[in-house]
Amino acid sequence: MHNHSEINEEIRFLAQSEIRLKILSELYEQPNNISGLVKKTQITYSSVSSNVNKLEENEFIRKVEKKYYVNPMAEIYFKALMDFKKSVDIINDYGAFWNKHNITQLSIDSMKNITALKDSKLIETTPLDIYKTHNTTKNQLIESKDVKAIFPYLHPEYPQLIETILQNGGTVELIVPRTIFKAIISPIDDKLKKDAINGERLIVYTVTDDLDLYLTVCDEKMSLGLFKNDGSFDQNRILISDDKKSHEWANELFKHVKHRVIK
Amino acid sequence: MTNIQTKKELNKEFKDVKYILTSSMRAKLLLALYRIPKNLDELRSELKKPSATILHGLKELESINLVRKAQKYYELTSNGYLLTTNMVKLIENWFALSKNEAFWDNHDLSDIPDEIIKSIYLLKDAEYVNSTTSDLSIAFNKYIKLISNARKLQIIMPIYSENHFKHMIDLLNNEKIDELRLIISEEIYDSICENELFKQELLENEKVIIKITEDNLKIFLTCSEKFMSLTLFFKDGHYDDSQILIGKDENALKWANNIIKKFEVK
Repeated sequence: MHNHSEINEEIRFLAQSEIRLKILSELYEQPNNISGLVKKTQITYSSVSSNVNKLEENEFIRKVEKKYYVNPMAEIYFKALMDFKKSVDIINDYGAFWNKHNITQLSIDSMKNITALKDSKLIETTPLDIYKTHNTTKNQLIESKDVKAIFPYLHPEYPQLIETILQNGGTVELIVPRTIFKAIISPIDDKLKKDAINGERLIVYTVTDDLDLYLTVCDEKMSLGLFKNDGSFDQNRILISDDKKSHEWANELFKHVKHRVIK
Repeated sequence: MTNIQTKKELNKEFKDVKYILTSSMRAKLLLALYRIPKNLDELRSELKKPSATILHGLKELESINLVRKAQKYYELTSNGYLLTTNMVKLIENWFALSKNEAFWDNHDLSDIPDEIIKSIYLLKDAEYVNSTTSDLSIAFNKYIKLISNARKLQIIMPIYSENHFKHMIDLLNNEKIDELRLIISEEIYDSICENELFKQELLENEKVIIKITEDNLKIFLTCSEKFMSLTLFFKDGHYDDSQILIGKDENALKWANNIIKKFEVK
């Protein structure tokens, strides 16, 4: 173990007090004086003032003409801490999505960058709509021109979906297990398939080992599905998004898996 | 008294962060289990704490679903693994910042995007070199030596420096570099155009690819296939040629490439 593999005193000092964290985030947004902070945070004057003093003593903030400013270095440390907080929030917000699921197919980078999924939505099936997850991703796929997908299992609608995208002039890049390759590709119209392959609009990578991950990256959208720890795919939950950061995140993950597959 | 509602909201907002980060036992246990599952004996000898303390910590982590027990071994749950990965990131971010604190604190970082700052852990093995009063050009000489051994260079160049350009032209003409990508501001581009030699040897050289940004740049970043280096401006707006941060590992290169990607699309 390295000597820097521990939570140090400074991190602990900040994390110990919600009030200090709150004051720092306020001052990070906008420099302020004590009564201004009291007004904004609704925390009592005495708590604000004693914590402001502690923060000043520890050189996280400084006073310039009646107002407190976050020190430039402290600002970066604080950003790192808040980034951790946001990652914890996302782990908790989508707790049911990660919990008891296999995340070994995610890259370490994608885990470290998990805050990119902040604006994603967790879609769950309901007894009244048991195909909600499938239909959601299906709609994403149909409308798209540029599709990258990891399909770990065969859904009978996949060949038709791929055909539709190709007919619309789109491109499809697939990663699938070798075992389903034939079943997914054969039903597609021969001429369309041939043209698409020659025109590099249809690229398929096959994998022999486990592919315990469902991922689509289409145009600006993405969706992600996980396997449960018992080895079965969880058809009842997917994480979807149409914001840029999630899309980028999914794209990086696709690249990561592709890289592993091509070797 | 702080009003109860405020207090509740505050507690809720930072609850988990506080719970994990303020207990050294809980944080240590997560880190100890990060790589592989361990049993109580192994944890006891690694953490050098009595069984009762360790078991208490494990119970707490089990209760918030970060750790689970399988047979006699304790392992991280998926949530635990995600959280610990991000805790390691936090620790390494902190380490990378404090290790080169003088470098970061001295300079204007406004040109480094927030996401890139948050992945500063990638620079944990990078070192900065300081010029001394007896030799003001240590940083510059180091830089020239680095680029002299590169085949492919990508540079975000915020300054017009004849010294730098001359060295680059030398390398290009001696077939040392196969490709030079320069990201420069309009202002610098115009200055280069005014110098006949530079215009001919840089702008009209087929090995050189120029990308012009509208904004003025505040970051001097170089990335080859083997190293990355960073020099910055002082907060008063002056370029600092005395300190250079150099990284040669894969992570540092990744960090630099991430910045370049951001500027490429600007």
